[in-house]
Amino acid sequence: MLALRDKKILVTGGTGFLGTHVVQALKDRGVPEKNIITPRHETHDLRDAVTCREVTKGIDIIIHLAGITGDGQFHREHPAEIFFDNLAMGAELMEAARQNGVQKFVTAGSITEYPERAPLPYREEDLWAGPVEELHEAYSVAKTMLLVQAQAYRAQYGFDAVHLLMTNMYGPGKEAVRGFVITNIIRRILEAKRDGSSSITLWGTGEPTRDFIFVKDAAEAFVLAAERYSRPEPVNIGSGWELSVKELAGTIAKLMDFHGEVKWDTTKPDGQSRRILDPGRAEREFGFRAKTALEDGLRETIAWQEEQFTSET
Amino acid sequence: MMDLKGKKILVTGGAGFLGTHIIAALRARGVSEKNTIIPRLEECDLRKAEDCARAVQGMDVVIHLAAKVGGIGFNQEKPGELFYDNIMMGARLLEAARQAKVEKLVLLGTICAYPKFTRVPFREEELWNGYPEETNAPYGLAKKALLTAARAYRKQYGTNAIFLLPVNLYGPGDNFNPASSHVIPALIRKFAEAKQSGAPSVLAWGTGRATREFLYAGDAAEAVVRAAERYDKSEPVNIGAGREISIKNLAELIAKLMDYNGEIRWDATKPDGQPRRMLDTTRAEKEFGFKAKTDFEKGLKKTTEWYLANVQHAI
Repeated sequence: MLALRDKKILVTGGTGFLGTHVVQALKDRGVPEKNIITPRHETHDLRDAVTCREVTKGIDIIIHLAGITGDGQFHREHPAEIFFDNLAMGAELMEAARQNGVQKFVTAGSITEYPERAPLPYREEDLWAGPVEELHEAYSVAKTMLLVQAQAYRAQYGFDAVHLLMTNMYGPGKEAVRGFVITNIIRRILEAKRDGSSSITLWGTGEPTRDFIFVKDAAEAFVLAAERYSRPEPVNIGSGWELSVKELAGTIAKLMDFHGEVKWDTTKPDGQSRRILDPGRAEREFGFRAKTALEDGLRETIAWQEEQFTSET
Repeated sequence: MMDLKGKKILVTGGAGFLGTHIIAALRARGVSEKNTIIPRLEECDLRKAEDCARAVQGMDVVIHLAAKVGGIGFNQEKPGELFYDNIMMGARLLEAARQAKVEKLVLLGTICAYPKFTRVPFREEELWNGYPEETNAPYGLAKKALLTAARAYRKQYGTNAIFLLPVNLYGPGDNFNPASSHVIPALIRKFAEAKQSGAPSVLAWGTGRATREFLYAGDAAEAVVRAAERYDKSEPVNIGAGREISIKNLAELIAKLMDYNGEIRWDATKPDGQPRRMLDTTRAEKEFGFKAKTDFEKGLKKTTEWYLANVQHAI
């Protein structure tokens, strides 16, 4: 096990949604704040090889969370940027890290890397079993390339890079992606309450199922992987639960004490019908298990969104 | 159809094996020497954004052949370099070509991008249905990612980038360096050396049972040039000869053509690589009228003659 306490740790995307929680989890492990470096994209363009060499100098561990993504419309309209930026950031950072003798490199992948028709729940062995959903092709392939690079660097250089496949996250904090389903439901309800309206309308049928992980649990998974996981195989990070969007909306409405009607606009697309990760490998390999109960996580998320909402309006 | 005459054409890897044949094919189309530009490795590192920007400046067409490649041994030793160099060269060049508003970009993939267990003949639709043969996966996947990149650039920016998947090439000018050569030049060299030294047998890699398809480099060059002229879609296209041969039969054929009468022994401790390889070539014919025309034995004969005249006698 790698003791993190005295290490210099670079967390790219460290001021983002997941990053903020990863930084907190590192502090909770006793890593002093001055040893946690979080470059911002305004000052550090990680697509640039020279910048990557500079930021990785003297670093022991890298947790690479920086990336660009967005909602469906963003993926439709910006596939080239999504491909290039995500690939170039990851590939240059890992190359620079290797040159500078970084000990450990953890990359954030995504559930969208799985083939559209992979058997459920998604298991790591099936990552290559078919084409990914076309909408997310650019994003998924760019992310999967970081896995390929990690494996190739381990084979050639003995470089310790690992790749985690993240399911959808939720929790307190500002997400990079607008329109994440849980945030969206909470905000519709907040708006309905403010406007005194007796119903909210959500996209699709509500039938698709997803698994969600509380962002603080996800952050813990990254820290555990940095400490304890050093193998080439990718690892799913999920909660193991499966919930339909409809059930989720019901739970959120109950927690928010909203008694109005939830309507479904079935003229709007649903997306993939089911998307669930098998979280078994993370538990076997480095003892990670998502521990936050859904309702507890939701309560914390709702509280954060309420505060945001009040300060906005 | 794009008339290439009068276009400024950048051919990365233009001094290489396939590149030399492409330059010849362009010349036959009437493209002048001053309009075919080959970036030199010493002054242009395509993994760097600045170098790519400089290379594509003022170009109408970019044909990207530059690649870091090798045989199975090299692939096993250097997967990291193969991944990084190939993906970054392609991604940087595509981005630079987009910024410079290049009219047409031809990216070359590789048959190594296909899944290890693909039904023969390989159809383009099967490209994502599995993991490639392990020894060449980092190389094959780095190249395959450029297909995704090309599609993404076409969608977002309308960049006219196409992606071709050539099969294993052979022909005059091939790489005969034993550290990095592919099977045909490797066998030619072994037989030539065995003949010279009077060795009673030659040891070849693997079991000989794997099958491969080989395309004459001159035919491949014609395919690339035709695609540059006539193909403007986001779907990848196989470039092959549509003919499969086992490595064992190949070795025997080369031995016969080179008049080597010793024994061919097989070192089964060495990997075979992917079990079978042959492309379905109907899309190339349908979309831009390409069909390989060089007879395999004639092509091999030309290759062995080239080796004897240019490599062996030069040593």
